[in-house]
Amino acid sequence: MYDVPTESTPLKLEAVTLTLPSAAGPVEILRGVDLVVRPGETVAIVGPSGSGKSSLIAVAAGLETPTSGSVSLFGQDLAALDEDGRARLRRNRVSLVFQSFHLLPNMTAEENIAAPLEIAGIMNAFEVAEAWLKLVGLSARAKHYPHQLSGGEQQRVALARALAARPALLFADEPTGNLDAANAHTVADLMFKLVAKTGAALVLVTHDPDIAIRADRQVIMADGRIVEP
Amino acid sequence: MPLFLRFALRELRSGVAGFRIFLACLALGVASIAAAGSTAEAFRHGLASQAREILGGDLRVAVEERRFTVPERNALEKLGEVAYAIGVRAMAQAPSGQRRMVELRGVSDAYPLAGTVKLAGAADLHHVFENQNGAWGAAVEEPLLQRLGLKVGDIFVIGQTPFVVRAVLQSEPDRLSRGFALGPRVLTSITAVEHGGFLDPTLPPPGEVARISLDPGVRTEAAIKTLRRQFPTSQFDIRERNEAAPGAKELIAQLEYFLSFIGLASLVAGGLGVAGAVSAYLDQRKESIAVMKALGADGAMVRSIYLAQIAALAGLGIAIGLVLGAVAPLILGEIAGKSLPIPALFAVYPWPLAKAALSGLLAAAGFSLAPLARARTTPPSALFRQDLTGKIRFGPEIVGALAAALGLALLATFTAPTPRSAAIMIVGVAVSFLLLWGLGRGAAILAGKARRFARGSVRIGLANLAGPHSAARTAAPAIGLGVALLAAVVLIQSSLLAQVSQVAPKSAPAVVFTDIPGDRLAEFDQTVTQAFGRPLTTENYMRAPYVRGRIIRIKGQPIIEKAIRQSERWAYDNDIGMSLIGDEPPGANVQDGRWWRADYAGPPLVAMEKDAAEGAGLKVGDVITLSMLGVEFDARIAVLRKVDWGGFGPAFTVILSPNALAGAPLSHVAIAKGTAAQEAAVTRALGDAFPGVNIISVREQLEAAAGLFDRLSLAIRGAAAVAGLAGLLVLAGAIAAGARARAKEAATLKVLGAERRQILAAYAVEYGAVGLIAGVAGAVLGYAAAWPVVVKVFQAEWSVDWTGVATVIMGAAVLAAGGGLLAALHALARRPAPVLRAE
Repeated sequence: MYDVPTESTPLKLEAVTLTLPSAAGPVEILRGVDLVVRPGETVAIVGPSGSGKSSLIAVAAGLETPTSGSVSLFGQDLAALDEDGRARLRRNRVSLVFQSFHLLPNMTAEENIAAPLEIAGIMNAFEVAEAWLKLVGLSARAKHYPHQLSGGEQQRVALARALAARPALLFADEPTGNLDAANAHTVADLMFKLVAKTGAALVLVTHDPDIAIRADRQVIMADGRIVEP
Repeated sequence: MPLFLRFALRELRSGVAGFRIFLACLALGVASIAAAGSTAEAFRHGLASQAREILGGDLRVAVEERRFTVPERNALEKLGEVAYAIGVRAMAQAPSGQRRMVELRGVSDAYPLAGTVKLAGAADLHHVFENQNGAWGAAVEEPLLQRLGLKVGDIFVIGQTPFVVRAVLQSEPDRLSRGFALGPRVLTSITAVEHGGFLDPTLPPPGEVARISLDPGVRTEAAIKTLRRQFPTSQFDIRERNEAAPGAKELIAQLEYFLSFIGLASLVAGGLGVAGAVSAYLDQRKESIAVMKALGADGAMVRSIYLAQIAALAGLGIAIGLVLGAVAPLILGEIAGKSLPIPALFAVYPWPLAKAALSGLLAAAGFSLAPLARARTTPPSALFRQDLTGKIRFGPEIVGALAAALGLALLATFTAPTPRSAAIMIVGVAVSFLLLWGLGRGAAILAGKARRFARGSVRIGLANLAGPHSAARTAAPAIGLGVALLAAVVLIQSSLLAQVSQVAPKSAPAVVFTDIPGDRLAEFDQTVTQAFGRPLTTENYMRAPYVRGRIIRIKGQPIIEKAIRQSERWAYDNDIGMSLIGDEPPGANVQDGRWWRADYAGPPLVAMEKDAAEGAGLKVGDVITLSMLGVEFDARIAVLRKVDWGGFGPAFTVILSPNALAGAPLSHVAIAKGTAAQEAAVTRALGDAFPGVNIISVREQLEAAAGLFDRLSLAIRGAAAVAGLAGLLVLAGAIAAGARARAKEAATLKVLGAERRQILAAYAVEYGAVGLIAGVAGAVLGYAAAWPVVVKVFQAEWSVDWTGVATVIMGAAVLAAGGGLLAALHALARRPAPVLRAE
C-alpha cells in the first residue's frame, strides 16, 4: 500500500453543457450543470433514465469533453489537458466503476486489479492486488477470468480495481444496476466501507433509493439539469 | 519486461482465433515470395554447380562461318585440352525415303571434357562413332528414329553420307549452352562431318566451337586475355563458366519475376485480409481499450500493447510462410527434379527467405498500422456510448504505414531481376488496387441506393452490401486483384496459344526450303509443283536468292555500336540474311520510298527494314556499305518497309536490287504453304532430286510450341491462382469478422418470420454480387494488363479466350456466393433466443 496526496477540491463543475450529434439532430444532454465534491464526501446522483446522470460522470471523469463550461479535477482544469494528459491525471487520482463491470476480458481477476497499478508504475502491483482481492472476499478467485465469475463477483473485482490505486475520487455509474438485490447490497456495503477506509470521495449514480440514502448528499437530476443539489 | 509487453502477452493468452485469416493471408504471400525466390535460387545454384559441364569445359571459344586456323588451334591447345565441335543442318533420309532435317554435330576425340553423354544402346561414345563398312557411326535422338522408322543398327543417310545408328542419344552435358534446335540431334565424330561433304565450299560454311579444359595453373581471365591479344581480329566469341547458359539465366530471371509478382499480388490482396483482421480484432477490443484508457493508459501505451501483439502474430505468420516457402521448392525438387530442363540444387537459401520475410513484415506494417491509429484514438467515453470509435488521423501510424508501403515497393523493385518491369508491375498493382477499392466503395453506395427498388431477399442482400460490414469494401478489391492476375494470365496464354496454333499456321509458311542451288531453280519449282499437286502462286509459294552479308558502314562512316538503338544493334553487329529481288514482291509492305523496276541497272539500291534503319538514324536516300561474298559496295536506301517476321512474305532485313550482285552464283530460299500431306510429299520428292536442300517444317515447330504452351498453361494458371486464393481468404475474413452480427441478424429475421431459404437467398445475393463485381472488374483490369503484353511485347494477335474469362468471373461469383451461403448456414445453425439474449 502507499499514500495518495489529498487535495482540497476533488471535483468542480461550472456551467457544464454537453450537446451530442444524432441522426435526428443535436441532443442537449447536460444543460448548465454546477457541482462541487469535497474531499471524502460521498454524493449520490439520482434521477430518471435519460436525465444525464451517466453523461455527467463521463464529463466529470474527463472521458467526455463538455460542449461548454469547465470541469476541474483536484484544481486542474481538464480543458487544459489533451486526452493523454487526462489519462495521466486519472491514473494518479481518479477511478471508475461501471454498471457493466468492464473488466479486461483477457486478464484474470488479480491482473485486472493490478492493471491500473502497473499503468501507474507501482512496483508491487500484484501484492496490492492480492490484498484487495482479500478485502473483497475473492482470494480464491484470483486466477479466474471475468467470464468465469458471477456478476456480483465481477463487480467486486471492478470495485477492488477502482480502489486499489487509492484514488482520491471514485466515480461509480450504477454499480449495482446489473446485480440482483442481495448482490447489490453486498457490493454497496463494500463500496461505502472501502471509500470510508481509503478516504476517497465518491460520486455515485444510482436508481436505488436505499443505496442513495447512504451518501452524504443526494443530487437530483432531470432533463440534463441538477434540480435539487 | 516492459508493461506494454506484459499486457500484450495477457491479451494473446486468449488465443489467436481472430487472427487465423491474418496469419493465412500473411503466410500465403510470404510463402509465395519465398518459394519464388528459393526456386530461382535453386536453378541458379544448379546452373553454377554444373557450369563446367554445361559450358563443356572451362572456356568456350567460337568462330562464325569458318574453322579455326592452325595458329589459332595451336594457341588454344597451349591452354589445355581442347574438344572441337562443328554443327550443321542437313537432311536425313531413311531407306524408306522418309526425310527429316537434323542438327548434325561432329565432335573431336576429347569430347566431352566435362560431364557425360547419356546413351541408350551403347556404352562408349567414341566406339559409337567408328566408321565400319563405309558408314559413320552416330548417336541419334529418339524423335528421328520415330520419324524415319529407324532402330539401333539401321543405316540412313545425311546429305549423301551413310550413317549407322549405334545408340540413342539421351542427353549431352553441354546442351543448355547451345542454341535452339530446328530438328532432332545427331552426334557423330568431327571426322565424319569433315568427310561427309557438309563443308563443301559451295555451301554456307558452319562455325566451329572449341571447348577447353584449362591446364592447372592457367587462369580463365589470363587465358581470355592471351587469346584476345594474340588474335585481335579473329572475332572470337568467348564464354567462361559463369556465362555458361545465358538463355537459361534469362529464363530463370523471368520465372522469378513472374512468380515474385504473383507473390507480391498475393501479399497485397492478402493485405486487405490483414487489415480486415486487425480492424475486426481491435473492434472487439474497443471496450478493453476504453477501459485501459479510463484506468489511465495513454494512447501511446494502447498503441504499444496492440502493436506488440500484431508484431508477434506477424512474426508467426511470416514464420509459417517461410517454412512453406522453403519446403515447397524442396517438394518440387523431389517430384519433378529429374524432368526439369535446367539443373537445380534445391536447398534452403537464406537470401530469398530474408527477402520474403522483409516483404511480409512491410506488408503487415503497411496494412496494420492504420487500424492501430484508430485503436490509439479510441475515446474512453466509448464505455458509455457504443457508437463511438477511434478516428484514423494523420499521425505516426499513417506515416509508418506509408513508409512500409514505399519500402515494400522499393524492395520488390530493386531485388527484381529487371527493376524497370518490376516498377511498372508494382504501379499496375497499386493502381488496380486503388481502382478496385474505389469500386468496392462505389458498389456499396450503389447497393444502398438500389435496395429501394428491390424486395424481399434481394433487398436484404443489397442492404447488407451497403451496410457498415459490407464485404464489398474489403473482399471485392482483394478478389478483384486475384481475378485480374488470373484473367491476365489466361488472356496472355490464350492469345499466344492462338498465335501458335491458329493465327501462325494461317499466316506463316508451313515449310521453309534452304540451300536451293541457284542453277537448278526451274527444276526445283517444277518438283515442288508436282509434289504439291497444284500450280504455285504468290499466295502459296515464294522463292528468292539468299546471301549472308554485313552492313559495315553507315553514310560512309564505320559502325559505332553505341550510336545505334540497342534493340536494333543485331542488324549491324552480325552477318545477316539478305536477298535480291526485282519487282516489288507481295507482302513487301513499303512504308517509305518507291520500289525499283525489275530491269533497274543503276547503282545498287536497297530496301531496309524500317525499325533497323531508323534505329541507326537511316532514312530513304542514305547510303550504307555492305560486305558480302568477299566484296564491299555502297547501296542507297530506296525503300523502308515493315517486315512480318512470322508471316508469309520476304522476311529479309535487307533486300537489294538484283543488279548489285549480278552474275554471282547465289543459292535460294523458298517458303510454301501446304497441308501436312503436301509437305510430306515434297520432302520425299526433293530427297531424290535435291538431297542438299534443307527442309524446315514450320508446322512441326508451331505444333511443338503449342504443345509446350499446353503443358505449361496448367502450371502457370495454378501459380496465378495463388493470388485468387488470397482474395478468397480475405472474403473468408470478412465473413468471419461479421459472423456475430450475422448471427444476430439471422436470429432477428427468424423472429420476424423469415424462412431459411429467404435468409440463404439474401446472403447468396450479397456475396454473389461481391464476387461478380470483383470478377468483372478484375477481368477488365486483367484485359488492360494483358493487351500490351500480347500486342506490344510478344507482337502477337490479340485473341480473347471468352470462355476462360467467363470461367474466371463466374468462378469468383460462385465461390463468393458459396462463401455467403456457408456464412448463412453458420448463422442459421444458432438458435435465435440465446443469440438475442447474448446481445
